[in-house]
Amino acid sequence: MTMTESPPATATGSDGDTAVPRIASGLHTWLTTSDHKKIGLLWVVVSVLLFAAVTVVGAVLGFERADADSVDIFGGINSYFQMWTLYRVAFAILVVAPLFIGIATVVVPMQIGSTNIAFPRAALGAFWTWLIGAGITISAVLIGGGWGALDGVTSDEADAISLTLLGTGMVIFALLVASVCIATTIFSMRTSGMNLSRVPLFTWSMLVATSVWLITLPVAASNLVLAYVDLHHGGPATFGNPEPVAGVTAIWQQVDWVVSQPQVYAFAIPLLGILGSIVPVAAGARHVNHSAMIGLIGFFGFLSVGGWSQPIFHDGTEDFLFIAFGLVILLPVLGSLAGAASTLAGGDGIGLKDTHLLASLGAGVVLLAAVVSGALRVVEPFHLIARSTTTGVFNLVMVSAVLAGVAGLWFWAPKITGHQLSGGLGKLVVLDLVLGGLLLGLTDLVSGFLETPDFLLAPPVSSTADALNLISAVGAVMVALGALGLVVGLFGGLRSDAASAGDDPWDGHTLEWATTSPPPEANFSEPPAKVVSEAPLLDQSGSNESEIV
Amino acid sequence: MFTTGFKYFYGLGSALMTAAVVYGYTTGGDGLGPLVMGWEGGVGDHLGYGVLLTLGFVAMGIGLILVAFRDADPAAQSHYLGVESVPPAPQVTGNFWPVVGAFGVGGMAIGLVINTAVFITGLILCSAVAIEWMTTAWADRATGDPAANRELRNRIMAPIEVPALGAAMVALVVLAMSRILLASSKNGAVVVAGVAAVLILGIAVLYATKPQLGRNLVAGLALALGVAILAGGIVAAAIGERSFEEHEPGHEGAIVEIVEGTTSVEIAYSGVEASL
Repeated sequence: MTMTESPPATATGSDGDTAVPRIASGLHTWLTTSDHKKIGLLWVVVSVLLFAAVTVVGAVLGFERADADSVDIFGGINSYFQMWTLYRVAFAILVVAPLFIGIATVVVPMQIGSTNIAFPRAALGAFWTWLIGAGITISAVLIGGGWGALDGVTSDEADAISLTLLGTGMVIFALLVASVCIATTIFSMRTSGMNLSRVPLFTWSMLVATSVWLITLPVAASNLVLAYVDLHHGGPATFGNPEPVAGVTAIWQQVDWVVSQPQVYAFAIPLLGILGSIVPVAAGARHVNHSAMIGLIGFFGFLSVGGWSQPIFHDGTEDFLFIAFGLVILLPVLGSLAGAASTLAGGDGIGLKDTHLLASLGAGVVLLAAVVSGALRVVEPFHLIARSTTTGVFNLVMVSAVLAGVAGLWFWAPKITGHQLSGGLGKLVVLDLVLGGLLLGLTDLVSGFLETPDFLLAPPVSSTADALNLISAVGAVMVALGALGLVVGLFGGLRSDAASAGDDPWDGHTLEWATTSPPPEANFSEPPAKVVSEAPLLDQSGSNESEIV
Repeated sequence: MFTTGFKYFYGLGSALMTAAVVYGYTTGGDGLGPLVMGWEGGVGDHLGYGVLLTLGFVAMGIGLILVAFRDADPAAQSHYLGVESVPPAPQVTGNFWPVVGAFGVGGMAIGLVINTAVFITGLILCSAVAIEWMTTAWADRATGDPAANRELRNRIMAPIEVPALGAAMVALVVLAMSRILLASSKNGAVVVAGVAAVLILGIAVLYATKPQLGRNLVAGLALALGVAILAGGIVAAAIGERSFEEHEPGHEGAIVEIVEGTTSVEIAYSGVEASL
């Protein structure tokens, strides 16, 4: 077949197909769309719904742990273990990562002046693969699967456990495909003049995050395949070992590192980008040091690469590298927060009235609590590695990431939904998530010092630890309420009668604010002007001294 | 000369290699081992050292690719293409294949656990998606006219798609139903088969009598069918096949004694002569 330079004359199809794209609507559109904004919205909506479900599981787990004398709610230690592991895996790869992917799928192409995302069909396929994989994983756990069984894998459970492993593998595969789409967009579809040092910080953070996910998550997928093969064919690795290792199953040890230090931080990389994107707009000024932020986000990403820290290699928790990663990661977080504070201080007298600003600052504070807890955890004399501190760090990182997601949703809602989200409800959600997240995470940090184990439902070591477990459960309930508020807020913004948003309600600095809300199908009515700095709209308005890179 | 992307990945690669050397020495490496990849002396912990070193090489490799392609800088691309402005992204038409591919992958995952035939069906589905995807991607760029591209694609693929899709749908329904029937009780299987038959007939009648049937309804039915098949597979995995009575060969026509309480239906389907 020869390629032609000019279009041949074609007969119009019987269904009236013409060269003018037909605007379809309804279910058909959501199943077949190649518009990055619709694909991103699919990711966002489903991940927010799953967030609500996951936090309910977290709250129930909290109350189960608060009364550790008996396993009343789940009816058995194995069921408790299944839900405990599902909570961790689901929070990371069914809530946080897809939430950021959703926001990025909508926002990143507009931020870099592109008309669409790279490989839009692959992006859509990634979403549906992720959704089906999530369905398989959750269903498989509910029918008795999970990542191993504490009392040994029976033949009845083997199929359900295999389905769990394969479903998780599907989810990871889908996240990797979506990551490829986003990273490729950033590398190859930037508008004229926008070199990598001029990309907005959220876009940069997504490039770092997807790079780290692409480097590390295939390791997790490989582990799952090994566990599946071993479970089915009885290989030497004894992943179906009935004897629990360090209180958990051997299969879980293959997955646990993904939601533990340092890898767990990889899910929070976009937080720093969202913070760096929102704060300058709220301050009405350029970021005090955009280049430094690029370096700090890259450094944070580097320190969150964790495929090497798997316990199956060896118990490396006393190694220099593990301790160093855990301590040094404080620097990029402190640097980012200092940059945000300096930018706000040098701005046009901002007030803390915007939900997105409050949420991004709250996310930064909770992430700081997470990395401080993580730094304490790796200090060998404290012996916090197998203690509840591990769960504390996980919960703090996850809640901080969701808070960043809330900030992103409220900030970019005009581009995502075409409407503004409720400011009053948003502030309540932020307050609830910050307080709930800190209660949930910091109490587990303190419990760790009281020798409370991480997973085992051991009787409380002291009345203080007992009280802390109860406080942690209350924190989990608060997070669940925050999730409910987030669902209500997002769906309120999706209603057609919601408050309409202006094209640029916040006086934004980057290219997504140069188009309408909601944006047209190809994002821009005309190609953006050549970019000469990291804040092209500030350059055009002539306000603020330009810092052309 | 050096692009930002190159600097980032080269820096990352250097840091990873340095980390590998430090890690090697802190985990028992000796002599020049960690510096020369174990040529002389030990590298310490092989796995950790190997992972860090590999990541370092990968990062440096990406850095080299980026400097070669100038960070995929649009201005550089425009220069090479000899155009004034950055070329816009080609318009991509939407279609069902990404969703079909997702169900194919799901079918493969479930099939690996419950049944080889389901796995092969998923594999065939994914292969079909790959072919369709490649053809559509080629057609999208064949000419500058989306309608002509669509016509071109349909002219090649429609004669294959229509019969293949019809056969695949029938095969998929039969296969999925067989799994569900095997997992159901004897009476439950009769009910399931009856409901499925009525559903299939009803949908066919609806589609035949209303050719203008909305594409959303068709999409909804296809989605519901796909979800039902996967859900059926998961349920089948949870329950397992019901146990069947094994008959040894040569026992056909044997005279057996009917136990009191056996129904006539069971006698009729037992394939044996009855003697009271």
